Amino acid sequence: MKNTGQLSRRQILAAAGFIGLAGLTGCGSGDDGADAKDLSKKREGAMQEYRAGQPFKATEPLTFSLLNLSNPVYPPKAGWLFWKELTRRTGVTLKTTDVPYSDYEKKRSLLIGAGDAPLLIPKTYPGQETPFVSSGSILPVGDHIELMPNFRDKLRRWKLEPEVDSLRQSDGKYYLLPGLHERVKSGYSLALRTDVLGRLGLEPPSTWDEVYEVFKAIKAEYPDRYPFSDRWNQPEPAGALLQSVGQAYGVRAGWSYLNASWDAQGEKFVFTGATEKYRQVIEYLRKLVDEKLMDPEGFTQSDDDAVKKLLSERSFAISANPQELVQNYRYNLQRQVKGATIEMIPVPLGPAGPVVLGGSRLENGMMISSDALKRDDFVALMQFVDWLWYSDEGQKFTKWGVEGVTYTESGGGYRVAEGITLMGSDPDAPKDLQKDYGFYNGVFSYGGSWELVSSSFGPDEKKFQDAMSQREELPVDPAHPLQSVEQEQATLWDTPLKDHVRQNTLRFVLGKRPLSEWDAYVSELKAKNMDQLIDLHNKAYERFRKEHG
Amino acid sequence: MVSTDRPTRGYRVFQGVNGLVLTGVVVVTLYPFVHIVARSFSGERQIRAGEVTLWPKGFNLTTYKIVFQDGMFWRNYGNTVFYTVVATAVAMLLTTCYAYVLSKKHLRGRGVLVGVAVFTMFFSGGLIPTYVLVTSLGLKNTVWALALPNAISVFNLLVMKAFFESLPDELEEAAQIDGLSTYGILLRIVLPLSKAVVATMVLFYSVSFWNSWFGAFLYMDRAELMPVTVYLRNLIAGATGGTGAGAGTEQLTQAMANIQAVTIVLTALPILCVYPFVQRYFVSGVMLGAVKG
Repeated sequence: MKNTGQLSRRQILAAAGFIGLAGLTGCGSGDDGADAKDLSKKREGAMQEYRAGQPFKATEPLTFSLLNLSNPVYPPKAGWLFWKELTRRTGVTLKTTDVPYSDYEKKRSLLIGAGDAPLLIPKTYPGQETPFVSSGSILPVGDHIELMPNFRDKLRRWKLEPEVDSLRQSDGKYYLLPGLHERVKSGYSLALRTDVLGRLGLEPPSTWDEVYEVFKAIKAEYPDRYPFSDRWNQPEPAGALLQSVGQAYGVRAGWSYLNASWDAQGEKFVFTGATEKYRQVIEYLRKLVDEKLMDPEGFTQSDDDAVKKLLSERSFAISANPQELVQNYRYNLQRQVKGATIEMIPVPLGPAGPVVLGGSRLENGMMISSDALKRDDFVALMQFVDWLWYSDEGQKFTKWGVEGVTYTESGGGYRVAEGITLMGSDPDAPKDLQKDYGFYNGVFSYGGSWELVSSSFGPDEKKFQDAMSQREELPVDPAHPLQSVEQEQATLWDTPLKDHVRQNTLRFVLGKRPLSEWDAYVSELKAKNMDQLIDLHNKAYERFRKEHG
Repeated sequence: MVSTDRPTRGYRVFQGVNGLVLTGVVVVTLYPFVHIVARSFSGERQIRAGEVTLWPKGFNLTTYKIVFQDGMFWRNYGNTVFYTVVATAVAMLLTTCYAYVLSKKHLRGRGVLVGVAVFTMFFSGGLIPTYVLVTSLGLKNTVWALALPNAISVFNLLVMKAFFESLPDELEEAAQIDGLSTYGILLRIVLPLSKAVVATMVLFYSVSFWNSWFGAFLYMDRAELMPVTVYLRNLIAGATGGTGAGAGTEQLTQAMANIQAVTIVLTALPILCVYPFVQRYFVSGVMLGAVKG
């Protein structure tokens, strides 16, 4: 008995494997052909006339499934006002699969791979959709945006078409509905001890050259300390700092580093880590470290250690984002150092002038399972997505909730209602907009008009963002999607090259390798297939341009 | 005779040194635990300043309060207890039966049965096929999704088989002559003699089910079905990811400082409490299996 039982278990496993495979290939062939465009039979629950700026209400109750990220700060609750009000306004009920924030990407891959994915798959960052494209399990949403008037309206008004074009895959279609920002929202910059600057009669610096001068002045006052000790060293050493300095030179470095970047003058892709601009970034940082203005440990230490140095006045500057500035640095400094003040400055400028890196107006967005197209309520689904994620009204609803209940609006400003707190705005309030009502939830609320995005800024962030949003956005790299075989080859070359750039950036900056060896470094990159990788991207660019204009 | 009553000087020196060395080992082993417990009760400023070693400084319960106040925490803790109990019971039943059968040398096809088990030690169906199997059997969102796929750990099975083989055949023959059936022998003779290995296996299984999170993460779709390990994993990711700021500032910085310590204490505590009671069996059980196997 035991024997047959065991064997049949194996058989079941084998059978299940085949079913899984069959399911995957089945998905691939399901949604092409002429009937895909004929949506007349898929209008169940859809509105006849649906236009931008008009509320969406399904003509009959509908249920859609959603992959729902469970954020530990506001874990999903069935009793949220958000769910109730959503169903009341739109007639749509969302059936969720809750996935812990800690392992969201893993489960997303698994569910898509197993053919068990919910219809709506949000919290997907641009580029993350690529591995799923060839399986056919993700809908090429770009083919169906005629059903999404609000999305199209925002693309046109905010001139985001080039950004969205950069999402196109090698078949010329795009598979991700990105979050859209009217203006660039910047995240990271330097924070400096303004009380120390004041005492030394210094103005907050606005360029990297001024930053250097300010650090020199601080060093003169405190010769035994480092003016600057940085954080955010995992996985990239000084990821935030390199990104900021790189931006000033107009090159992707640190967190935003990519091996291939577009050279507008030469009209071709070049290898980022071997460009002259990248070298200048390294030279600048080398100068800071060489003259002991920056702590060499600032490229390797943990965040905790970096903050400890700041709090114990062993350093006076650190990379920051608005949240860390207020909740960590300033909050703790005030308790530990009398009279200390700290401010975040707009990202200092460099040779590239007042610019921000391109592509930063796209946020994480949503994939839609290709099963959606087989449903009779497909049109209603697209209208619903368009309204909730892309209409002004929908975005206001997901962020602030219900007027008079969770927030009040006056003169273009929004405030949470009495007795409700948002991100610690009123620590004594009994209720929390995110935890208890389910609004301002990262799954539903992101991007939008500048008015809406800036409506939740604190005073510090407002000042910072206002300054940053004046800057010009560099153009995005033109679309150059790789085909799936190329993609695999590129991945094999990409990682060792990236590692080599990363390691040597650190060695150059710390002075463990003299900059005179730059040419040797470039030949090492060549030995690691730098030229072949760039060729691949350039060929893909040419091919895409020929085929899709 | 004198020498046995009064150990020689050399022996006493050895004992002294031995005691010292072992005390050292105990200190080294215990230090991380004590440090983690101290950290979990300490204030955020003292932790940041690196002042906390063996005793809590700036006594603070904020993080415990944040964790305890959340109804979901208790719910998930309850799930963990439930999943562990059910899964361990199922695993013990199946493993014992399988191991007992395998320990009988006269069984035909024994080699195949062992082979089938050992095969799964080296090859598995892979993540997605296993997921598809579990899902299509309708096990998703039930305790069975956790209990059944992991019900037989081959390592435990082999240890248990070796133990059963070490029992003298004569014992079972005698029982047979006295009229006991196969099940009677297993239940009335073999199992009572195997308390050591049973206790060890219960410990092995329950610790692994208690600590596991991946199965639940795969097969559970709703937050209220998750075990506490997933809850805490998510909490740590949230506190260190720096993305969300839900709690007030003061609470949040406190939580960020010692959330890991608090979670380790909370998850390790119950299982630590079980150890002293099973340890007696544990040592002899593992040894017996090891020597024979």
